[in-house]
Amino acid sequence: MQRVAVVGAGTMGRTHADAYARMPNAELVAVCDVKIDAAQQLADKYSVRAFADVRSMLSEVDVDLVDICTPTHTHIDYIKAAAAAGKHICCEKPLTRTTGQAMEAVRICEEAGVVLFPAQVLRWFPEFRKMHDLIVSGAVGTPVVARTSRCSAYPRGTDDWFADMKNSGGVALDMIIHDYDWLRWCFGKVKRVYARGLYESNIPLTDYALVTLRFDSGVIAHVEGNWARPGGFVATVEVAGTDGLLSYSSTDAVPLTIELKAKGEEKVGVTVPESPVSQSPYYLELEHLVNCLETGTKPEVSPEDGLEAVRIGEAALKSISTGQPIALA
Amino acid sequence: MAEPKTVKIGIMSFAHMHAHGYASCLKRLPNVEFVGIADDDPSRAKQMAEQYGVLAFDTYEQMLASDIDAVIVTSENAKHRRHVALAAQSEKHVLCEKPLATTKQDAEAIVEVVRRSKIKFMMAFPCRFHPAFKRLLESVTSGDLGKVLAMKGTNQGQCPGGWFTDLRLAGGGAVIDHTVHLVDLMRVLTKAEPARVYAEVDNRLFGGEFDDTGIITVEFTNKVFATIDSSWSRPKTYPFWGNVNLEVIGTQGVAKMEMFAQKIDLYSDKTGKHTYEYWGDDVNLALIDSFARSVAEDRAVEITGDDGLKALEVALAAYESAKSREPVDLLA
Ligand SMILES: NC(=O)c1ccc[n+]([C@@H]2O[C@H](COP(=O)([O-])OP(=O)(O)OC[C@H]3O[C@@H](n4cnc5c(N)ncnc54)[C@H](O)[C@@H]3O)[C@@H](O)[C@H]2O)c1
Repeated sequence: MQRVAVVGAGTMGRTHADAYARMPNAELVAVCDVKIDAAQQLADKYSVRAFADVRSMLSEVDVDLVDICTPTHTHIDYIKAAAAAGKHICCEKPLTRTTGQAMEAVRICEEAGVVLFPAQVLRWFPEFRKMHDLIVSGAVGTPVVARTSRCSAYPRGTDDWFADMKNSGGVALDMIIHDYDWLRWCFGKVKRVYARGLYESNIPLTDYALVTLRFDSGVIAHVEGNWARPGGFVATVEVAGTDGLLSYSSTDAVPLTIELKAKGEEKVGVTVPESPVSQSPYYLELEHLVNCLETGTKPEVSPEDGLEAVRIGEAALKSISTGQPIALA
Repeated sequence: MAEPKTVKIGIMSFAHMHAHGYASCLKRLPNVEFVGIADDDPSRAKQMAEQYGVLAFDTYEQMLASDIDAVIVTSENAKHRRHVALAAQSEKHVLCEKPLATTKQDAEAIVEVVRRSKIKFMMAFPCRFHPAFKRLLESVTSGDLGKVLAMKGTNQGQCPGGWFTDLRLAGGGAVIDHTVHLVDLMRVLTKAEPARVYAEVDNRLFGGEFDDTGIITVEFTNKVFATIDSSWSRPKTYPFWGNVNLEVIGTQGVAKMEMFAQKIDLYSDKTGKHTYEYWGDDVNLALIDSFARSVAEDRAVEITGDDGLKALEVALAAYESAKSREPVDLLA
């Protein structure tokens, strides 16, 4: 049984807490948030203790795993605190805000002998796992050119923390790091990054980036990140190889659409497309981690995977800023 | 109102498959008379002339000496310069297939030959005439989308094979073939010129001498940035030849154009294939109509040689950038 404390009681904190609460071999034991009300509210739901300070939590509660779901720029502080206390760590993506911090995180966790699990959840999205498996099985032959796209409206976190680009890294780090990790999983090491984007353009609640990645394997990938889309979330992927092409769009993968007539005062009805799966990818991801901790096996996502994804994101930001391609050592 | 004058048109070379599309439009347009065909390969000229019920000329010179008003040049890219010069000598107006040429030198020479002559010269960028693009342009121009910030385009297709993969005749592979359409549409939308180009280009789909894969980033003089995917990445089993897609990101919204989305899905046991049967507007019809009207009414053409040159420059800069692994400044 893994005893888990969640730090950060926002959108992701709630999602992770819910997953642990349903897991047979995990137990949610505490919630921590600088906003004690937020911590208390989530803690009450599962009848566990709430803390505003992580150090008091770690000294007062017996914890095996600390799960960090706070704004990105604060990840490194919690990684340090948890590693110092000898706790295993799950950390929401991006692992940290900078490559330097990510390298430090990898090193201190190794020295402390604790597991550091970067929560790159895309690997547990069934469509992305299916595409990965098809690609590595040679379904499109040798992969040559890939395109991914991830679009939504601008995210509104607690106190609008995403809007501070310095803290969130904007769309080119925060959002499409999902795709960087998935592309690395499929195609290996990235050697060159070129990007254009709005990271430094100071347009309120708008960000957009077009990133070109060149892999050691020769694959060229085009990664779009869009935080300026009024129409809701869309993800698309296509991979072309010597023997074929695979393509996916979240707008097509919709097995259920419910349309309701207008009620009462409303003028128009609502249409809600749904793509239900029996297990949430977040549950599957955290279940994998908990099972690894229970059996002492290595999780499928390594600390280095988390670090490399941040390195690509940071290179993209640097390329946006300098207008130059960035070579990765 | 007086009936517009009928414009007599010949086709110079059927090397480019678009000649077929143009030929069928010439037959359909009321203000145009499709006179005949000349070709480097006289037997092809004969065969095509028979197919379309027009005259076959033994040589380009013979066709140009006839009473035609204009020609459509659909020869291999590298031959455009020679064929345009021939037509200009005989004072025949020209509608020229894209890309304008295979080198900047040839492209500039074409623009110069046209400038010194009295002929009208129009670039065949038919995508400008698609109603979806016109609506997109309207929406951008009216300010609906706010200030344009970025664009994302794809002109992915199946590998056409033949001389398109012969560097001497085509000037390159997928990048020179497919980049120019989107550069042209983007120039029209942003009303700005390409200033900087970066590209990753490779040949790993077919492993030939020619490039088959290209992701090109273009920055415009007004800071708008864009990417173009010009890869021949649609496999042989793909239901259609390819696509022309363009997304525009503005401060007030986003727009997405899929030019050939007006289609019927056909699953045929006869052919063993799934195909997209396109039913939208035939953009070639509007292109040739525009050209014929410019000739008949002695008006300026809608798409100039300079437009062709500007688009070509981006494709050529993409090759240069891919080689140097550096962005290339076009205005330097
Ligand atoms: N995997 C995914 O799909 C996904 C989706 C969204 C966000 N994320 C990532 O998860 C993390 C959290 O994002 P979110 O959307 O849940 O944000 P959020 O704003 O909803 O929640 C953040 C919570 O952290 C608290 N907090 C802020 N600073 C803190 C600090 N210094 N110490 C403790 N608590 C603090 C806030 O009060 C808030 O309750 C980010 O790194 C984000 O990039 C991942």
